[in-house]
Amino acid sequence: MASTWFRNPSILPGFGLTLGFTTFFLSVIVLLPLAALVFKTASLTWSEFFSILVDPRAVASYRLSFGAALLAATINAFFGFIVAWSLVRYDFPGRRLVDALIDLPFALPTAVSGIALAAVFSPSGWLGQKLAMAGVQVAYTWLGVVVALILIGLPFVVRSVQPALVEVQRDLEEAAETLGAGPFHVFRRIILPAVFPALLTGFTLALARGIGEYGSVVFISGNLPLKTEITPLLIVIKLEQFDYNGAAALGFIMLVMSFVMLFAINLVQAWGRRRHVAAGR
Amino acid sequence: MSIVLDQVTKRYQAIPVVNDVSLKVEQGEFLVLLGPSGSGKSTLLRAIAGLTEIDHGRVFLHGRDVTHMSAREREVGFVFQHYALFRHMTVGDNIEFALRVRKAKAAERRARRKELLRLVALEGMDDRLPTQLSGGQQQRIAVARALAHRPQVLLMDEPFGALDAKIREELRRTIRQIQRELGMTTILVTHDQEEAFALADRIGVMHQGRLLECGRPDDLYTRPQTRFVSTFLGAANLLLGYRSAATVRFNSQVATGEAVPREVVAVLRPEEVELGADESRVRSNFVGFGEVEEVLFGGAVERLRVRMAGDGPVPVAPGRQGSPEAGSLLEVSRTLPEQRDFPVAIGRRVAVGARRVHVLPTPISSFTAVAETEAEAQALCDSPLLSTLGARMHTRVAMRVGRGDRAPPGMPAVATGTGSAAAAQWQLRHGAAQLLCVPSTAMLPTHVLIHTLDAGARRATVPVAASLLRHVAAESVYLGIHPAASIEKERAEYMRELLDARSAALAEHGLDMRTELRFGSTADELGRELVAHPNTMLVLGTSDPGHIDWTWLGSLLEGQPERPVLIVNAAQAEQALGN
Repeated sequence: MASTWFRNPSILPGFGLTLGFTTFFLSVIVLLPLAALVFKTASLTWSEFFSILVDPRAVASYRLSFGAALLAATINAFFGFIVAWSLVRYDFPGRRLVDALIDLPFALPTAVSGIALAAVFSPSGWLGQKLAMAGVQVAYTWLGVVVALILIGLPFVVRSVQPALVEVQRDLEEAAETLGAGPFHVFRRIILPAVFPALLTGFTLALARGIGEYGSVVFISGNLPLKTEITPLLIVIKLEQFDYNGAAALGFIMLVMSFVMLFAINLVQAWGRRRHVAAGR
Repeated sequence: MSIVLDQVTKRYQAIPVVNDVSLKVEQGEFLVLLGPSGSGKSTLLRAIAGLTEIDHGRVFLHGRDVTHMSAREREVGFVFQHYALFRHMTVGDNIEFALRVRKAKAAERRARRKELLRLVALEGMDDRLPTQLSGGQQQRIAVARALAHRPQVLLMDEPFGALDAKIREELRRTIRQIQRELGMTTILVTHDQEEAFALADRIGVMHQGRLLECGRPDDLYTRPQTRFVSTFLGAANLLLGYRSAATVRFNSQVATGEAVPREVVAVLRPEEVELGADESRVRSNFVGFGEVEEVLFGGAVERLRVRMAGDGPVPVAPGRQGSPEAGSLLEVSRTLPEQRDFPVAIGRRVAVGARRVHVLPTPISSFTAVAETEAEAQALCDSPLLSTLGARMHTRVAMRVGRGDRAPPGMPAVATGTGSAAAAQWQLRHGAAQLLCVPSTAMLPTHVLIHTLDAGARRATVPVAASLLRHVAAESVYLGIHPAASIEKERAEYMRELLDARSAALAEHGLDMRTELRFGSTADELGRELVAHPNTMLVLGTSDPGHIDWTWLGSLLEGQPERPVLIVNAAQAEQALGN
């Protein structure tokens, strides 16, 4: 019975072998460390755990970490789409260069981008000076955190949306045009539905990366407790104070919250897929 | 008039892909644009829909100038080869799209949707997704969607291209029925001639960006005007024939004392060939003897290839069929009764007759390279311009060493350079109706400049230019030049003359050329135009070669840079036509 359950023809030989490998690999690389985290947290009593959870400094850091990541991912979804659009639809001199530039935040050590951002946006920095004159301070505020997360998250959106946009054939748009649809209509009814799943994937990846980001943020955020302190930083502080249990507890809380958010987005995506491609293509 | 195109031109990187196309389509007419891939037919269709911008010309839909309107404003229905259905919408939403865009009421949308689904015989499919339908069904939905907003014209770009033969035939019938039912003006693009015959009220054949011919399917098949159409629509043997009085003969031996017959290009359809045991058994126009080389049984018709004797008819393009001595291959097809009457096997010697021959009106039948030595003649044959022209026109490029006693039939060709003026003059004085002067390195021209030295030469010059331009993707300009001193009243007259020439060229020869009027000396104005466009061929018409200013023409032929010049000797050409 069980063997007919799983049997699914595939070009890779040995279903048992590949499933076994997948389970083993995930266990060693993902589940084992996470289990250790849970295990470490479990050595706390409920009241200890609860006090760490609702510590005002911790609560403020959740708000900043998740809030900034959400905001940055949203902004990235918007601008990343535009960047992907211009890369796919237009041929301009230096297009390949720009294309390569997109991946740079992937490759750069996060600390480097953090220092670079801080240098540019600090009140004495090149851009910071001008912004200060306009009464806006970016560095050492929550805005700085958002800017850093935008930089880090952009490639995720662009790289997810790009292939989907390539897939939207010109003749679909032309068909809509001959049927009387204006540019807005074509975008809203034809292009957006086609790339939405990819856009959501990009958004999710950027969000996930933003929640966990540490290196680039700490240089620009100023790290003021209750104001510009992100959760990962709080964990590092606790580690430096040899409060391993406290660090593990915070880590566990982040883990649960991230998992819930990502799972929810995945559900939305699966629902969308079912709706669009019911009964296969 | 439902659709009117006026000199529509579209260039990609300076190369015209749609070249000066003018066309009128009547209300309710079904026009099929037929042509090989890359002939510009799809581009032309997209230009009508407003999906491609044009560089020159105008587009009218129902009397409304839509040249500068977007596809959205043109109110056309367009059907794409790969359906282009919106995959994230149901069939019903796809059909209603155009109505939703126009903010139609829900009840109206629903009614129209039902009506259209009934029309394409897919009732009850409203809630399916396009991906759940077969290719044929998807294309039906695409047609229904294109008709939703009651467009004035329906444009279809190879709509059956992605479907298999059986579904294609069925869908073809549906489309024809819908088109008749709605009285919808329709243009369909295809490369499939069977499809064109099955659907069209009129067929327009396109080749290299030009609309070569446009007419009723049976007219195009029985009386094609061009080499391309005669071989593209159905199979055809193109032979060089000799027209004297009312008949066309296929061997060039001329009895002494007889007038020199005119060389023509004759179309002999495979089904018009008659085979018999010997000359007396052939009831139609006797062509010659041949040997059956190949027999293919094909159900209702039998296809044969007959190798004609070496002194038999000359095919227009001998290069493809071995040495000239081996004789030409004739394509023959016979019905079952014909096969019963006279069964043949491979190797059998047969007498060949032609039941019906159609003579193409093209004045350029073949080329003959004339030079003093064999090496020079060979070099002239191999020159890029002459060899490409020969290949493009599928015609013979023969060689003649020494002048002989009169000009060769068809179009003689001489090399430009030193001594070419004298050679050209000799040819024109000895019976050449037209003459091509070829520089050894010249390529096909991108510009063709047409000019007649006197008004009387126009009637003979335009068909030669038209015949040439059908095979060359070049822009053509007809230049009228008049003395600088001409007065205002005369100028209006000249302008009208020029426009008359243009409409006559279009109506009689399908040649759409631009016209320009200049005032000054002929030499100066032509010279200026030749300098402006380096890759130009000059087509020069004259009623009397004696009136040509040979010092000027000589400098053009023998000076630098060398340019191809085609001279039309109108008096000779008209005499040949009258023959």
